[in-house]
Amino acid sequence: MNVAIQQLIHSVDLISPELILLATVCVMFITGPFFVSEGGAAPPGLRKRWGAFSLVALACAGFVWFTSPHADPVTTGPFRVDNLTWYVRGLSLIIGAVLAVLFIDQVDDSHSAEAQACLLAILAGVNLTAIANDLVVLFLALELVSIPTYVLLYLPRRGQSNQEATVKYILLSIFSSAVMLYGMSLLYGAVGTTNLVGILEALRGGQAAGSATLLRMSAALLVAGLSFRVAAVPFHFYAPDVFQGVTSAGAALLSFIPKVVGFVAFMRLLPLAGGLGLQTPAAGAPSLRLLLAVLSIASMLIGNLLALRQQNLQRLLAYSSIAHAGYMLVGLAVGWGAGTTSGISALLFYLAAYGLMTIGVFALIACVGSSGSAIRTQSDLAGLSRTHPAIALGLAVCLISLTGLPPTGGFFGKLNLFLASWSDGTTMGIVLAASLALNAAISAWYYMRLVAVMYFENAPGDAPQKVSLAPAVAGAACALGTVLLFLAPQTIWELAARFTP
Amino acid sequence: MSPEAQHTILWLIPGAPLAAAIIIALLGPKWLGERSRWPCWIAQAISAVCALVLLANIVPNNWVQAADDNGPVGVVASGYTWLDLGQADDGGMQVRIDLRADAISALMLAMVTTVSFLVSVFAAGYMHGDRGFPRFFAAFSLFVFSMCMLVLSSNYLQLYIFWEGVGLCSYLLIGYWYERPAAAAAAKKAFVVNRIGDMGFILAIFLIWTSFNSLDFSSVLFDADQMRFALDQHPNRLAWVPFLLLIGAMAKSAQFPLHVWLPDAMEGPTPVSALIHAATMVTAGVYLIARSMPLFMNVPDAQVLVSVVGAVTALLTALIALTQNDLKRVLAYSTVSQLGFMFMALGVGAAGAHLATAGATAGMFHLFTHGFFKALLFLTAGSVMHSMGDVIDMRRFSGLRRALPITHWTFLCGAAALAGVPLLSGFWSKDEILVVLHEASEHPQYGNYFATIYWIATITAALTAFYTFRAYFMTFWGPERFPAEAGHHPHDAPPVMAWPLRLLAVAALGIGLVTGVTHWFARYLQHTPSMEPEEHMVFHVDLMVLSSAVALAGIAAAWWMYVRRTGVASGVASRAPFLYDLSAKKFFLDEIYNAVIVLPLRLVAKLMYLIDVFVIDRIVDTVGALPRLLSAGPRLLHAGFVSNYALMMWVGLLACLGYMLGLFS
Repeated sequence: MNVAIQQLIHSVDLISPELILLATVCVMFITGPFFVSEGGAAPPGLRKRWGAFSLVALACAGFVWFTSPHADPVTTGPFRVDNLTWYVRGLSLIIGAVLAVLFIDQVDDSHSAEAQACLLAILAGVNLTAIANDLVVLFLALELVSIPTYVLLYLPRRGQSNQEATVKYILLSIFSSAVMLYGMSLLYGAVGTTNLVGILEALRGGQAAGSATLLRMSAALLVAGLSFRVAAVPFHFYAPDVFQGVTSAGAALLSFIPKVVGFVAFMRLLPLAGGLGLQTPAAGAPSLRLLLAVLSIASMLIGNLLALRQQNLQRLLAYSSIAHAGYMLVGLAVGWGAGTTSGISALLFYLAAYGLMTIGVFALIACVGSSGSAIRTQSDLAGLSRTHPAIALGLAVCLISLTGLPPTGGFFGKLNLFLASWSDGTTMGIVLAASLALNAAISAWYYMRLVAVMYFENAPGDAPQKVSLAPAVAGAACALGTVLLFLAPQTIWELAARFTP
Repeated sequence: MSPEAQHTILWLIPGAPLAAAIIIALLGPKWLGERSRWPCWIAQAISAVCALVLLANIVPNNWVQAADDNGPVGVVASGYTWLDLGQADDGGMQVRIDLRADAISALMLAMVTTVSFLVSVFAAGYMHGDRGFPRFFAAFSLFVFSMCMLVLSSNYLQLYIFWEGVGLCSYLLIGYWYERPAAAAAAKKAFVVNRIGDMGFILAIFLIWTSFNSLDFSSVLFDADQMRFALDQHPNRLAWVPFLLLIGAMAKSAQFPLHVWLPDAMEGPTPVSALIHAATMVTAGVYLIARSMPLFMNVPDAQVLVSVVGAVTALLTALIALTQNDLKRVLAYSTVSQLGFMFMALGVGAAGAHLATAGATAGMFHLFTHGFFKALLFLTAGSVMHSMGDVIDMRRFSGLRRALPITHWTFLCGAAALAGVPLLSGFWSKDEILVVLHEASEHPQYGNYFATIYWIATITAALTAFYTFRAYFMTFWGPERFPAEAGHHPHDAPPVMAWPLRLLAVAALGIGLVTGVTHWFARYLQHTPSMEPEEHMVFHVDLMVLSSAVALAGIAAAWWMYVRRTGVASGVASRAPFLYDLSAKKFFLDEIYNAVIVLPLRLVAKLMYLIDVFVIDRIVDTVGALPRLLSAGPRLLHAGFVSNYALMMWVGLLACLGYMLGLFS
């Protein structure tokens, strides 16, 4: 009992950045309604003030994060602080600041407090996923991401398609959470503890030798549940409809945050497979790595092939997001393999690059045109290089990065994944590397077509639309970050490479 | 000076122009307008001052220090690791972005930054009133940044990156007036021809990488043990490297047969021709070969080839320059020809290791003086264009010496230096090249080659004097005639253009006197690591007399043909129409390339296009339709009903479960 209390007191220290965020969330939810009249009218510009407030909270959390230790000794407590935690926290706070800026103009003044609060809660959830050392904490953290996401997607209330898309996401997301929870409970049933360190010890000690079937089932259920989060085939069906329905900012959030939590949870759970005997199984027996590799190749291929013919921009980007889940699964499947480049480090690096480029694309789409004449389809991009040269340039940078060409961070992202899978040396690694290269080539077709539409087709001729400032700032930051990531990739790579199980 | 201060100065040399480029690109079009000149000027001035400090103080101090504690020669300002892929000893790769300065780079930088400062001042007057003013100065600053980074590179990959960087800026600036089809075509031509060279260069880098496991100059070039080891391990690979490097240098420095892009590049604004296509970028190839001298020393055949390429280029383009009527084209061909001179000198190492340093010194010295006087000549040509209403055809104006006195006198200084009039800068550097070629002709094996090359060089020197003064006399002497575009009273260069001309003229007259007579340049350059100090430095008076006579004879012939007896020139042309056409039509090289390379490639491209349309597109369409066909079955599932999506997820989940439980195996 004493030990548990000690651990709890100590853990408050460990999660101080998240506590700052959650305290701000409480303040926003409680005081937010007081600024809005009964009829729903709010003073103009309120959303900017709430946006600034949430940026201040993020800055405070960021300061605490930056001065926090990179790694603490791992105990059997609920939390563990290691290099993964430090990396993911930084990623979520920095990209979260970009999202906070992006969301300023996406909701009405009257709902701005709630929107920003939901965003901060989501970011706290991301951080808790990275710090979780216990199945219960992990599940709670994942739900702390999911539930505010539902609210955040629902808040803009822009017509029926938005609501329909949100409801679809809610229902399917709950389904996947249930699957995952079932997987966790089977795992608990097999080993008798929810602590990750405890589970690993129990598996290594052979205490669960009799319940191999339970463990295998739980592994399958966990893979299925997390695959929904990262939008991997065949759990991707929600993505196109939902991305198309929600606002650009909502789609930006959905393309990045669930992927981060999904892959981080994978990284926390995957080392358990080592004790399970699934990492390097006997020939012919089912292997978790092979399962992930199959999911990866399927996601890459299906995502890219279906993206080829899309006209709606956000639907296209949904398929692109599925394909990118496939690329990142390559890193997961290779893991800490025999190669000179670690797949997990490559995946962490790719997450940073991907966050910048995908949010950059959505933000820059969002900043052109008001709700009346937003960019919805490819042809809306025509002539953008003449009407808005700077925005077209930023979009081109992000799209080139999504393709994986220099001079952008996406180039090194794909290069690292390729090197990791190629240097793995196994047949699976080589097949993964080959299909990664092939799919990058396929994806160039539709990304470069967008660039061509912007630069070589003429604008329809009506007057250039106004640019809204907040998303433009967010998009510019992303495009700039993408180029900087090419100029100095080592700064991120060294942090990403530090994490070993 | 503290190491920190040294590093700051080193970083400022490329950093200031980069900052200017960013500032102008961001603020120029909307806010700065013609004020864009100020960031550019200030940056070039900072860069030039820092380069002079580097030349006069930092690098010499480093020799003293290196001699004292046997440390490495060269100042390194460490940057950061750009790429780190795997372990270096395990086929991995590590590339750092560092700045490294030694004698050769300090000399080059001093020339590059001072010339670019003067040209940037001139350009502000020349480009006055142009629509794309900020765009010009942004690209200009970006070019100076790339060029400084190229010279300051510490490894081959970094050099390659900025090699491409200067190429990009050159492309942007040749095509600066992109509405003009000729300018757009010239930019494209320069781009495509340079790709051939880049291929050679990058292959050379691959081979260097596989044989040394490193791209750093310090381990590839300056470490004799590593070189011996690599030669033992991979003799064949290292035999290829100099040839491939030569291909890269030939494209960038416009050597035959890849020289065709440079004359067309004159479509760009004249300050660009002066800076990029005369003084700096085109000399990058010379710098590359001089820098890589240890790699060339292993393969004498490659060095002979360097000299032969230089000799052929020098003679051929000098012959072409004889009959060109466009003043800028005369200067362009003369640039190619002078670059040929530098190449000739770079190859003499084949005739004995003791000559390698002398050859590199002569080549670099000519690069140094040529940078000043050729920039001057181009700028004066720009000044002529400026007052003649953009007419540059020498048949349409003459006798400008009274209307444009400043332009006239400064052009005369540059022309005299280029022609090799005794005691001017071009005389000293050209003379050194002739000396090393003459000494090399005593080598038992390659002597005959170098004897021939020596005589080619002498003949070319005579031709150079002739065509330079032909241009001078045609432009500035004879009856006073102006084209209609010039208006009634052509005005001479305004002060902002005149002062750079005057300063460059002083340099063209005096820089050789300062550095040549005293052998200061040679003594300085020999501190470059991998260059052997040379013992005896004497003047060969007989060669000097010969080359002076040759230069003066060329000038006299030009005076006789174009001032005294003006009918002679056309008489010669009509009596030997074939020879005249050969020169005026540039030996039909463009036509030959068109027939041999461009047309077949066009045909292949046409064929590929047909294949693309009728075969590849069909396949792509089929593949693209495949998902639709496949999804025709479960289309109901994909019609937007949540329950169907859930069902699909359920099926996926069952598949995962089935696999993990081993049901499929």
